[in-house]
Amino acid sequence: MCMAVPSKIVAIADGIATVEAFGQTRQCSLMLLADEVAVGDYVILGAGGTFAAEKVPEDAALAALDYLAEVLENGLA
Amino acid sequence: MFPEARIDIGLRTAHGRVAGVSVASTRIVQAARVFSGRRPEEVTALLPSVFSLCGAAQRAACADAVEAARSQVPSPGQLTLRRVDVLAETVAEHGLAVIRDWAALAGEPADLTPGKSLRVAMAAIRSTPAQAVARASEIMAEVLGAAPGAVLAGAEPFSAWLARGGTPAARLLRGIVDEGLAGFGAGPFIPMPATGPVDLAERMADDVDGRYAAAPDCGGKVYETGPLARHRHHPLVAALMAEHGTGILPRMAARLVDLAAALRELELLVQDLPEEPSPRPSDGAGTGLGLVEAARGLLAHRVELEDGRVKSYRILAPTEWNFHPAGPLAAGLMGAAAGDDLERRARLLVHALDPCVACSVAVE
Repeated sequence: MCMAVPSKIVAIADGIATVEAFGQTRQCSLMLLADEVAVGDYVILGAGGTFAAEKVPEDAALAALDYLAEVLENGLA
Repeated sequence: MFPEARIDIGLRTAHGRVAGVSVASTRIVQAARVFSGRRPEEVTALLPSVFSLCGAAQRAACADAVEAARSQVPSPGQLTLRRVDVLAETVAEHGLAVIRDWAALAGEPADLTPGKSLRVAMAAIRSTPAQAVARASEIMAEVLGAAPGAVLAGAEPFSAWLARGGTPAARLLRGIVDEGLAGFGAGPFIPMPATGPVDLAERMADDVDGRYAAAPDCGGKVYETGPLARHRHHPLVAALMAEHGTGILPRMAARLVDLAAALRELELLVQDLPEEPSPRPSDGAGTGLGLVEAARGLLAHRVELEDGRVKSYRILAPTEWNFHPAGPLAAGLMGAAAGDDLERRARLLVHALDPCVACSVAVE
């Protein structure tokens, strides 16, 4: 399955966001994102992790991160 | 950190040919097991946040499976809404591939503006359905340089469109033809049956260790699922397959046909889109299967409910068929001529088969 990890935007510069998830930061393009986003918002990244695909509401993102943490704890990832 | 799912293709050559194809996948195929103990509604809410490419298809397959387990019959309106969501996702996925990846494969800079516009349009499919579909059709006509339906009406208009080469997509496909790669990657064609594998329910039920979810088969056969399997009888796809088998050109044309078919079906469905609340949750028990034709192929969910909660949840995704170690990609690459451009040819085939995670190709 193509699991996506909701990632929190920690910085934005020139259409590129620095996002954080599970203690790891990476950079992704905001060029394809339909919604306006700001630092503190959550996005999920497309395949390869080079662009933000969708903005996710905070409560949904936190629920998804809890679930993914459980997937990791269970050794399924 | 959360490991990134990916597929790594390794090609071993001997005596001027590909003599071995390895497909190593770190895709997470057992994560659905953690749904156990949750209410089905929690799972439905969670799915779109953990699947970026196929959230609508995942949600639809989940709803179908849960209803089947509860012996609930969904209303025609609910089914229409699910179908509309999945079709909009299909348009966005194929459209984005053409706009972003095909331009890059043609060696041209990708203009992502129409990609964003397409995503914006398809995100509005529920709020302003008719405008959303009209806008998506307009964007794809601009991207292709002509209305998709007109380009794909048959072999002649398609050849004329290639020859004109007015857009990066047309130039990519014309280049593939000019380089003699239209039939590259052709292999035995075992299309997924429209109703899915005959033993699907049983195999998913028995899949305690997740081996079936990682590398499915049906009596030893590995099906191909997705646009080529769905549209093999379409006049253009059939004509291209008669000439090039399951090579790159028929596969890429089938993706365009899939996109155009999704747009056409959306045009019809949004004329009379129902407004319906979701069905009421119930405490039913039982087992249900949900099957959805997602952009990349057949997506299957199997759920077992007990006392209103998930007892077991399993998902089988299309990429596991198409990128199976003995599947269509591997079969298409086996025996291919070695040479400097082998990696590029293999990459084109990977794009034509459209994995849902990052995929690398290395010639060993």
